Amino acid sequence: MTATLLAHKDLLLFIGAAALKVLVFLNGVMGFTALLTLAERKVSALMQDRVGPNRASIFGLALNGLFHPVADGIKMLVKEDFVPGRADKLLFALAPFFALVPVMALFALIPFGDYVMVFGYRLDLVIAQVPLGVFLVLALSGLAIYGVFLGGWASGNNFTLLGALRGAAQMVSYEVVLGLTLVGLMMIYGTAGLQDLVRAQGKLLFGFVPAWGIVVQPLGFVLFLTAAIAENKRTPFDLVEGESEIIGYFMEYSSMRFAAFMFSEFVEIILVSMLSATLFFGGWQVPYLYDTGFVLPGGAALPLNHYLVAALQVASFSAKTVFFSWFLLVVRWTLPRFRFDQLMTLCWKRLLPLALFNILLTGAALLALGKL
Amino acid sequence: MISVKKVDNRPLNLLERLYLPEIARGLLVTTRHFFVNLFNPKGMPTVQYPEKTIPLPHAARTRTRHRLKVRADGSPKCVACFMCQTACPAYCIRIEAAEYPDNSVEKYPAVFDIDLSRCVMCGMCVEACPEDAIAMDTLEIPGGALTRSEMLMTREDLLRNLPGEAPSVLGASNRLANEYLKSKGEQ
Repeated sequence: MTATLLAHKDLLLFIGAAALKVLVFLNGVMGFTALLTLAERKVSALMQDRVGPNRASIFGLALNGLFHPVADGIKMLVKEDFVPGRADKLLFALAPFFALVPVMALFALIPFGDYVMVFGYRLDLVIAQVPLGVFLVLALSGLAIYGVFLGGWASGNNFTLLGALRGAAQMVSYEVVLGLTLVGLMMIYGTAGLQDLVRAQGKLLFGFVPAWGIVVQPLGFVLFLTAAIAENKRTPFDLVEGESEIIGYFMEYSSMRFAAFMFSEFVEIILVSMLSATLFFGGWQVPYLYDTGFVLPGGAALPLNHYLVAALQVASFSAKTVFFSWFLLVVRWTLPRFRFDQLMTLCWKRLLPLALFNILLTGAALLALGKL
Repeated sequence: MISVKKVDNRPLNLLERLYLPEIARGLLVTTRHFFVNLFNPKGMPTVQYPEKTIPLPHAARTRTRHRLKVRADGSPKCVACFMCQTACPAYCIRIEAAEYPDNSVEKYPAVFDIDLSRCVMCGMCVEACPEDAIAMDTLEIPGGALTRSEMLMTREDLLRNLPGEAPSVLGASNRLANEYLKSKGEQ
């Protein structure tokens, strides 16, 4: 028995490490998602000179509303789980999973740190190291359309079907732009693996500017963020749901199934934030921080412990994620909603040509610099 | 006074049509509000009612929680005529009349309930009262209860005079009551 275990030591270690990473990373993401549901309400309140929710309390302790996600969760669990009589029962039950699972799976690809040496064993701080991670990200986020469309269709309601049609049209359209904006990045860094992309962003341009994606692809970043928000179905592109005015695809859902749709939207906020940080803001990179410590462009160096460097890098990635999540909330509560024809015009007549132009520009610049 | 606002409907210039600079300007406004309120929460106009209250501004003082006035002898000024209950658009007043055993002239409310969870604070009960028995001048704002029963005001909750208020001895029923009391005292 022991001999068999020892023979498969590497495999067992790999499985154990992967399970541990999934547990830690996904729990962190879930916790952050719960906080984000509160943050959405608190940020919007502060922007509108309100206080926001602060009443849910445990033993008289309210902590300025920190228990509201718990209260929401309990409320969702004990509500009636209604299934319309005309619904397709199987697909109706499956749709929330289709909405949630692809989004959750995407976290496996996101590098949240470089690596840590634990007892001489190298632990890469990414759950799945995929050589062509960018393509897998695009493929999986494309799967999220199924959740929207099945949810709207299986409800057996014409209004949800219309909402689902809007959703499918919007997501398919912006998928194209989303993919094309990333081509420029891949051309410059010469790789499509997310961990490799982050490592490449650790280099310096002209000896002092970190070669982050935002520096080399500013237009690409604006296009990516726009397309990502649209893909995420958030205001100003929330015609898929349009909770208050036009009826969305999950109108017939209630209780925990509705919560799954809502939850997947908040998880997507984190995902978009993480992708923006990873692709355009150097992921876990801290400027001038290398394996051995800080090395400033002037030559001054500050050697740091390996674990401290790893912790700093994970903290940097977390900080960037939190910042972008906050930024997406601010955008959501600032901009008015587009009309659907404006949405389509923006995608096909503005963003798509700009994305193609960006690729052309990047190619021309690379050719001029002799790096092609 | 009617004010006229002139809207400048000029065509958008290039920067505005690019959309992004205007988005940035909008984001600046909301972000400024966010950070100002984050670091200076006291500057927000919100009052954490019911834990905290503020002195009511002028017009808000005219219609606050109800009370039933009390006569000089301690009996309710209300004669249970049902005028307020009839006038109430929210059907929140419930009166059950009763008679004094030794005064066959006037009635009194054995039950006088106001369901504040239904009350719309319109003040029509005060307008309707022929005896000036009900008033909305306690300067208390109803609300902030966790159960409906907490919002139900009974006769005992409502009957009170404001501090320093001289109980009224005017009015027909008052006169009758005073006469009755006087005659009772002479015997």
